Amino acid sequence: MKKYLLGFLLLLSGYAVLYGQTQSDPLVSKCLLSTGPTAKYLKDFRIQLGQSTSQDAFRYKANMSLWKNTRYRFTLCTADNSQGQLILNIWDNSNNVVLSSVDKKTGTIYNYVDLICNKSGIYQIYFDFTEGQAGSGISIVSMIQ
Amino acid sequence: MKGRVIISVLAVVLTIFSCRNNSRKSEEFVLANTDSLTASVNPEVDAMEEIYRNFSSPLEIANLFQVMGVPFSPSYLASSLNANEQTTSFQKALYLGILGADLGYLNMYEKTGTAIELVSSVKKIADGLNVGQFFNFETIKRISLNKSNLDSLLFLSVDSYSRMDEFLRKNNRSQLSSIMIVGVWIEAQYFATQVMKQYPNHLLRERIGEQKYFLEDLIRNVAPYCDNDKEFATVCSYLRDIASKYENIKISYTKGDPSSSEKDGILVVTQTETSMVEMTDEQLAEIIDITGNVRNKLIAN
Repeated sequence: MKKYLLGFLLLLSGYAVLYGQTQSDPLVSKCLLSTGPTAKYLKDFRIQLGQSTSQDAFRYKANMSLWKNTRYRFTLCTADNSQGQLILNIWDNSNNVVLSSVDKKTGTIYNYVDLICNKSGIYQIYFDFTEGQAGSGISIVSMIQ
Repeated sequence: MKGRVIISVLAVVLTIFSCRNNSRKSEEFVLANTDSLTASVNPEVDAMEEIYRNFSSPLEIANLFQVMGVPFSPSYLASSLNANEQTTSFQKALYLGILGADLGYLNMYEKTGTAIELVSSVKKIADGLNVGQFFNFETIKRISLNKSNLDSLLFLSVDSYSRMDEFLRKNNRSQLSSIMIVGVWIEAQYFATQVMKQYPNHLLRERIGEQKYFLEDLIRNVAPYCDNDKEFATVCSYLRDIASKYENIKISYTKGDPSSSEKDGILVVTQTETSMVEMTDEQLAEIIDITGNVRNKLIAN
């Protein structure tokens, strides 16, 4: 009897551990909660990068259409186990830099960047981690009213 | 005897655990060990595809309505669609797109309680296309009923659609993915044009005009399938009809450097570069008419 019960408990606890591992990563929920009270979710980018050998260009690129008369918020959340901090650059389709989450003059790295968009079009969204370090993170794009 | 009882209990318990709806699964974002990653990770979808595969476009349109102060109206929704009546995969994919846009509109106006019926229809159609496992039905339903967290609801809805789309593309059913995107776009365009009729506004007028380039890309995306069968041929011809009304609309740009400031720890960047749409009242009226006609034909089939 004891043998069966022990086996049962072992199986049950094993299952619980495995089940627990498939549960949601708290980073998504945490990031969603941090976008601000007037922000409405639009899209997210999930970035995972290893250590870079050069720091020339941002390594994760995505395209996104942004519309005139809209205020977009880019919330940048870096996972705790990351070596670098998630950073962002946005370029327009004429290859002009629209914004960077890093202020090169002061060295400030912003986790929240609002873009008041006045030109509809396709934009290139670039992500990397500071100094080309390894990291994981999520960026949530929201609309602000 | 006791042993058999315990084994039976064990079997029942494990069955219950196994059958438990893992509704939070699509919220997962399991982070890999970054040491094992290659130097660069890029999205799998190519650059232009990322643009049309935008399941958030109805949210952006609905956001604009809210900025304009337009009240919610159920009359814009495709209420006549019956989730049990689609016979072909084409129809299912198209309606999945249309209902996805309706869901986005309802969610943005926080009409989440009334969205339950629609969520059930989406699930039914998704099951019919064998992509129902990617639609996070239970969690979306729970959050909708609780009205607990709008942002999570928007996230889960968009994420579910992205997963269904990805699955279709990876399983050689890209034609259905393309038609789903057409459904999303045509319904969002229908919202925009109907609201424009009732609440004329220069912001919305511009947004309708700006669809010119988006529509061109959408047509390019669906073009490889236009000769597949009669259903595809019809939709392609409808899209070309709408595009013909955009032919003489011009979009121009002015140059300018962005300005930035910091407020409460948030970097705020304002673009001074602008885009402008040149569209006459007649052109707008034609776009409104043709969009309404096409959309109503699509949901009547």
